[in-house]
Amino acid sequence: MSSDVSIFYKTMKKYLLKRILFSIFSLLVVILTVMLLVYSLIDRRVIFQTDDVWNKRSNNERTFYEYTMYQKYGYLELANYTLFLQQKYVSLYGNSYVSNADFIADRNVIQDAEKCFDNETVQEFIEYYEGEGYTISYLEPLKYGNGRTKPGGTGYLIATRERSMFLRLWDYLKGLFSFESVNNVQDPELTDRYIRIEKDPYNGFYALVGNGTTHKYLIYFDSHFPFMHWNWIHLNLGVSYTKYRGQEITDVITTPTGDLRVVTTQYPAKIGTDEYVETAIDFHSLTYNNGTLTEAEMENYPDKYTVSTYRNNGLSMLETSFVIGIIATIGAYILGIPIGILNARKKDSILDKIGMWYIIFIGSVPSLAYIFIFAAIGTKLFNLPYKFANAQVKILAYILPTISLALPSVGSLMKWMRRYMIDQMNSDYVKFARAEGLSEGEIFSQHISKNAIIPIVHGIPASILGCLTGAIITERVYSVPGVGNLLTTAINGHDNGIIVACTVFYTSLSLISVILGDVLMSKVDPRISFETKGGR
Amino acid sequence: MSEKVLNEDALFTFVNNDSIESEKIIAPRYSYWKSVFRVFFRKKINWFLIGVFVLLVLGAFIIPVICPYNPNENVTRATSFNLSPSAAKAYFAGDGTTLKWIFGTGGQGNSIFYGIWASAKTSIVLAIICAAINMVIGVIMGAVWGYSKSFDQVMLVIYNIIANVPYILVITVLVYVIGAGFWSFIFALTITGWMSIAFFFRTQVLIIRDREYSLASRCLGTPIPRIISKNIMPFLTSVIVTILATELPSYISMEVFLSYIGVGLSANIPSLGRMIQEAQTGFLVYPWEFWPPVAVAALITIILYVLGQNLADATDPRTHM
Repeated sequence: MSSDVSIFYKTMKKYLLKRILFSIFSLLVVILTVMLLVYSLIDRRVIFQTDDVWNKRSNNERTFYEYTMYQKYGYLELANYTLFLQQKYVSLYGNSYVSNADFIADRNVIQDAEKCFDNETVQEFIEYYEGEGYTISYLEPLKYGNGRTKPGGTGYLIATRERSMFLRLWDYLKGLFSFESVNNVQDPELTDRYIRIEKDPYNGFYALVGNGTTHKYLIYFDSHFPFMHWNWIHLNLGVSYTKYRGQEITDVITTPTGDLRVVTTQYPAKIGTDEYVETAIDFHSLTYNNGTLTEAEMENYPDKYTVSTYRNNGLSMLETSFVIGIIATIGAYILGIPIGILNARKKDSILDKIGMWYIIFIGSVPSLAYIFIFAAIGTKLFNLPYKFANAQVKILAYILPTISLALPSVGSLMKWMRRYMIDQMNSDYVKFARAEGLSEGEIFSQHISKNAIIPIVHGIPASILGCLTGAIITERVYSVPGVGNLLTTAINGHDNGIIVACTVFYTSLSLISVILGDVLMSKVDPRISFETKGGR
Repeated sequence: MSEKVLNEDALFTFVNNDSIESEKIIAPRYSYWKSVFRVFFRKKINWFLIGVFVLLVLGAFIIPVICPYNPNENVTRATSFNLSPSAAKAYFAGDGTTLKWIFGTGGQGNSIFYGIWASAKTSIVLAIICAAINMVIGVIMGAVWGYSKSFDQVMLVIYNIIANVPYILVITVLVYVIGAGFWSFIFALTITGWMSIAFFFRTQVLIIRDREYSLASRCLGTPIPRIISKNIMPFLTSVIVTILATELPSYISMEVFLSYIGVGLSANIPSLGRMIQEAQTGFLVYPWEFWPPVAVAALITIILYVLGQNLADATDPRTHM
């Protein structure tokens, strides 16, 4: 018996490993496809549509700004003549190059379109970068008739090279996870570098503390969701191009919003004394300060970990979506499964007929229609707040979105539960149980329900993890500040970084939930095995 | 005793042995499609639903021809914007077109009534084209996929990659990349849409492929195309109709959804989704702009769904008793 179990786990492990490897492979294919679509088929200039800096600049300065942004977002590699020049003269004359006459002459020559290409350094620059496969572009200085430069008309000499999609994919994957290490801080004064478990002075528990790492607290605990906080690993799904210009998406969706939450606490250097402060600073978020410390900082902090973020009362975008989603999911399972069982048992009764019409309505009508119907009923009849931000009592604002999200899932759970129950009702073991003299109640609760629920179990991980992606329409209708509209606003705002990030996020969640669903199903039903041998 | 036995020759007479007649099988005439429609039309609700649907389709195809919808006809008359049905009737009293303003005016002074029909036409045409493309490709590919084992292995890998990408993501990214015209929209909806139909169909084909009668047929040397078309396909008619019943309304819903999130059809094409999207911000203030397109979309989808399900039931030979 025990060897059977171990064989079972062995085959399961092997099977799971295969599944996970294939999932990673498909994720890579998906990322590459989306990158190809988004970065090569879409006009890259759309990212400047809402860019203020771009709007303010004109002529050559604008073009040059475009190139720097393309470089920042990984479209191309950019080399600037000015930097090339600086490097050349620094190697020749050290730091005193700025006043060197040759340097000034070489620097100014690109402002003169006629003489520019006769210059030796310019030739050097062109030769070097053409050899590297770059394309040289000379943005000729734009001048008025009297010789004065037009606004933004300064000349630029640059070299650009397109980045291949595989290089971009490689860069993206490399940057996906970053781990804290003791050599993260580039400061020669810092000698005592370590990572160790220490007692956390802020809650008396233990925490993983680092010195030389970017964050001071690498793993710590507190009373807020998700209770265990990880700073030593950082997930970077991508950088926003337009909407949250330059911010990382993972930071955007996990940063709490709302008012500052002030608590009574102590500065790190004051622990042990009786000096308390009222502050919203979260001392668990301390990061290394590369600049010089002020007087106050030196007094309050024992080391150079002085940069911190604040505590907030509100939830982050991810948490908001998750709270609404998880309540709706739990509610849907609690309602949908018993109603489905009941309808199957009392098949063709009036309750079953109503249930069927409800399923037809929810299944066929555009989701937009019934969400607005719920919104209209909720606001008119029950006086519930319609828009999230306008709610006087915050908790009431959650009611309508949660209901709107739960009711359709109730419909689909009812439908499948009812169908699986009816399928089971005609099977031989039920007839046998009936022949043995079991009551209908026993047959339903002990035999049929247990078998009918197995396929339902498969969907549980998907519905829980699905809460993390938020709900597009519900969140839009009620203006919920969640993650559901991340992708759609990114598409409307040409935010290519978020589009790729969302693809990775959504696709990995769905991959994980399918695998988890299979594992869960095999746990619930011992007849399902991962044995691949035998059978067809 | 022996006298009482009747002469056998007196009781029985020989019948001519007609070898041609004996080849005929006497059975009640059975026509599959006749039985399908007999069962289908036995339900009174189907007559009613077909009646409503025909009215809707006729309206959608005839009204825009007779009374072309022009969303910008009153765009310069700001006083005509967002008028309730009664206010619009009073405002356009001199026009002599009371029916036109029966649902009031929209945000640009446009006629909601005409708009609905022009939009319904777009939605119905879109749904039919998408369903036709997806069903044809899906069913053919599914049949081959289910039948050929080497093709199955390749397709399973492709399917497992594509199926894990949320459908919404595929469509929104594609519409974003290739633009929002009518045909590019259809392209986005069909490029991966046939895949799930094909997969579902493949599984059904797999189940039937190895049934005894199919095996016997193969042993007798029936060519594969004939096995697919004669042995497997008839069995799957109800499956095809069931898929169609869920597919057709889903494209209408999809258009409404995509227009709502801002990646729908381009602005010059009237569509139900666009009308709903334009009216949704003021849906509590100007309900007459919002609910008519919602109701039409809901009506079309519900009718298509219920009719499709009932037809699928009727195509199942087991109901033909």
